[in-house]
Amino acid sequence: MSYQEKNITVSLVSHLLIGVYYLSQLFEMQQSGGLVSTKVFSLWVIVIVAIIVVNIVGNILTHILSNIIHALKTGKEEEERYIEDERDHLIGLKGSKVSYIAFSIGVLIAMLTFAFGQPPLVMFSLLILSSIVAEIIGDLSQLYLYRKGF
Amino acid sequence: MDKYKVRNNVRKLRFNHDEMTQEQLADKVGVTRQTIIAIEGGKYAPSLELAFKIALVFGVPLQEVFSYELEGDEK
Repeated sequence: MSYQEKNITVSLVSHLLIGVYYLSQLFEMQQSGGLVSTKVFSLWVIVIVAIIVVNIVGNILTHILSNIIHALKTGKEEEERYIEDERDHLIGLKGSKVSYIAFSIGVLIAMLTFAFGQPPLVMFSLLILSSIVAEIIGDLSQLYLYRKGF
Repeated sequence: MDKYKVRNNVRKLRFNHDEMTQEQLADKVGVTRQTIIAIEGGKYAPSLELAFKIALVFGVPLQEVFSYELEGDEK
């Protein structure tokens, strides 16, 4: 598994965990009397900050762990080289494209809920959810392209 | 319309060049070993620039490394 694949896997797992946390919190709110704006706003902040922080920390941890594993394998203290070449860029671009399409569909669905009489809180909650789902789909498509090639 | 595919002789050329490893070739052309593996396996068609770099490493013309053939047309 290349460094890029490890990074994407870490990102995928973190997005999945954040997505599960977000959904569980939303369901909990729904069951305890519906969405309350103050609680929903704080949940959005937590989720958005978590996505940023977890991605940065995840990248750093992957880098450190990769170097430790590399050192254990080779028995040398040299750092593993990380090159991003044209194939990595292409896969990244394709992943972003898939992510963008998934997010666009999510935005459309969120707007439709508003058009069909749901409160704006539901629409914005769906927007945040669709951004997380889009990231997950983007990560999955990148992993698929790394494995299958194109 | 007929389907064409980029084929290559990278594996053979590596073997003929003192059994050059994928890692060594990757270092020489500035890509990852995974990209060389993907090229050799026919899973990735490199850019023109990378194709020329690979040909330069082996010191052969481009068409000796890569060819554009009908899919399923094995040599």
